Amino acid sequence: MPDEARLAAADQPLVFRPKPERPPPTSSIGVLGWMRANLFSSVSNALLTLLGAYIAIVFFTAIINWALVDAVWEASNRRECLDRVGRAGACWPGVIAWIPNLLYGLYPKDQVWRINIAFLILVAWALPLWLPRVRSKVGIGLSAVLLYPFLASYFFHGGAKDLLWTALIALGMAAFAWVWLTTLSERTTGLPFGAVVARLTGAPEDDEAATRTRARIAYAVLYLVAVGVTTQWSLSEVSTRYWGGLFLTLVISGFGITFSLPAGVMLALGRRSQMPFISLCSTAFIELFRSVPLITILFMFNTMLPLFLPVGVEVNRLVRAIVAVCLFAAAYMAEIVRGGLQAIPRGQYEAASAVGLGFWQSTALVIMPQALRIMIPTIVGNFIGLFKDTTLVSIIGLFDLLSMARAVGEDTTWLGLFLEPFFFITMIYFVFCFLMSQYSLNLERKLGAGQRR
Amino acid sequence: MSGAAATLAPAATRTGVPAIELIGLNKWFGHFHVLKDIDLQVAEGEKVVVCGPSGSGKSTMIRCVNQLEQQQEGRVVIHGRAFGESAQKDEEIRRDIGMVFQQFNLFPHMTVLENCTFALTWVKHLPKAEAEAIAMSLLERVHIPEQAKKYPLQLSGGQQQRVAIARALCMRPRIMLFDEPTSALDPEMINEVLEVMVELAESGMTMMVVTHEMGFARKVADRVIFMDQGEIVEGAPPEVFFANPRYDRTRLFLSQIL
Repeated sequence: MPDEARLAAADQPLVFRPKPERPPPTSSIGVLGWMRANLFSSVSNALLTLLGAYIAIVFFTAIINWALVDAVWEASNRRECLDRVGRAGACWPGVIAWIPNLLYGLYPKDQVWRINIAFLILVAWALPLWLPRVRSKVGIGLSAVLLYPFLASYFFHGGAKDLLWTALIALGMAAFAWVWLTTLSERTTGLPFGAVVARLTGAPEDDEAATRTRARIAYAVLYLVAVGVTTQWSLSEVSTRYWGGLFLTLVISGFGITFSLPAGVMLALGRRSQMPFISLCSTAFIELFRSVPLITILFMFNTMLPLFLPVGVEVNRLVRAIVAVCLFAAAYMAEIVRGGLQAIPRGQYEAASAVGLGFWQSTALVIMPQALRIMIPTIVGNFIGLFKDTTLVSIIGLFDLLSMARAVGEDTTWLGLFLEPFFFITMIYFVFCFLMSQYSLNLERKLGAGQRR
Repeated sequence: MSGAAATLAPAATRTGVPAIELIGLNKWFGHFHVLKDIDLQVAEGEKVVVCGPSGSGKSTMIRCVNQLEQQQEGRVVIHGRAFGESAQKDEEIRRDIGMVFQQFNLFPHMTVLENCTFALTWVKHLPKAEAEAIAMSLLERVHIPEQAKKYPLQLSGGQQQRVAIARALCMRPRIMLFDEPTSALDPEMINEVLEVMVELAESGMTMMVVTHEMGFARKVADRVIFMDQGEIVEGAPPEVFFANPRYDRTRLFLSQIL
């Protein structure tokens, strides 16, 4: 019958009917399917899986027994720990007694709140960047990078302020106030703070010039108030000699991270520049700093820089270390960014210049966003490396987290207690590095949206 | 010039000055002589199709027109204004020229709409709403307003190329350059792009198109130019060019692609 029908309609084209889709066989999906495919796909793989599981279990039970089960939590010195459990369990009281020093170094105990407050200010400063309905995110981010360091420096160091420092600290305070005023006004009214002030003081909605003038006046008033507060407010001086522990590690790596990215971008652009002089200088800088170990650079800056400076000019030891770390990190970052730039097809530059963009516009708006996006894993990898490399500052006499951990075992009460503090700071380093790497994955996922088919 | 040209081009610009003039153009890549003594005039509203074997210099020539490539000898004059006086004037001249590339070159990190509004916001400094209105009207003109919120890589090749055309048109150019606009496309998508180009030609735009789509050349070109080894071998209206090419080299080329 179908054949007859087909014959009857021989001059009609056949109708193509696609087959319906079927679900995959159950053995290839779900947990069982995954285990079969990945853990037990052959006899040798199954054996390796079991061996790996065995080693992992032995290793982790040993660590947990030492660190938690057999550990001593209360004792007044190391002798007590050894008498109770010997070396089978960890002796945590020494670490606990030293926690303030591990976190803040030798910073005076009654002043530690300044560090905590400065840290909270940073969190509050950056928080609006993750809030929805906030439009001025570029301004908020830039102000955090450019102005927070002045405010934080004063919190950390304190002491007498000259005119320049008063102006800069006030700028930091005004910027912080602006961040939250504009965040609140944008989240409630959808307008930036300046525009809201202009409305409230009676500027007509469609008069852009009047709005701008009133917004400027509002910002000026904000700044003057901040200057007033700054002149009335002072903190006692805490010399950088007393800075240390996790706090110092974060200060050095924070400067290194925030400086190295913009500096690296500029150096990478410089190296690719058509202008021979700029290209030569950038290349020379990058190659010089990349071919010398960080330890050497730290030594050079610490011992030799003062010899070159004019008599009477003294640069603080911490500042010298920070500058050395920043320059070293910038050279590495430059090569990472250059790699990213090379991955962007020439057609992107051409398309940007064909629609009428100049060099800086096409670099900032078309090329860099794409290059940095590709480079996120490498850039964050570099940040993580930098964070850990700051331990090297201990050899020029700064008391970073690692040096403080070593000091625990040199304390007469806890003499010889090295393993526990190292275990503790390992955890701290791990938490920071793991968070950075998770954040980078998160960023990749978010920015990659829509870029894949 | 067709009647439609009068409706698109402002009256003041139709002065008889050629839209594009290439005068004694010579260019080398290293020691390789890519363009040899190119002289070419394209009138306002004229549509010129450039064809030739690969390596003949046709892409380099069209890229010289908006100075993506710079010649070592000769001059490029657009609407009577020569390139090379100052960087700022070059930028201004270039804004009159839109370009569509073989590989689309859309900005992958921006949506289709942002690709189109981008130059309006950053070069012409238009407010967002106005820029979006212009971009939407041009996306409608290339028949894909519904894709405005997507990212380029989510679209088919043909759709991407139409976005690229819309992006170039947003700047209201007086000249459009097309560098092999359909060569990177799957065969079934070539027509949707050519249709848009035909509509554009009918609106009176000055166009220079490097392509092997001879059907398109027959339909819209005022002149077809054949290039080989860095020289313009011959150029003629399509009916003459296809029926009766003067050079053996042209005949050989046509026999290979038709």
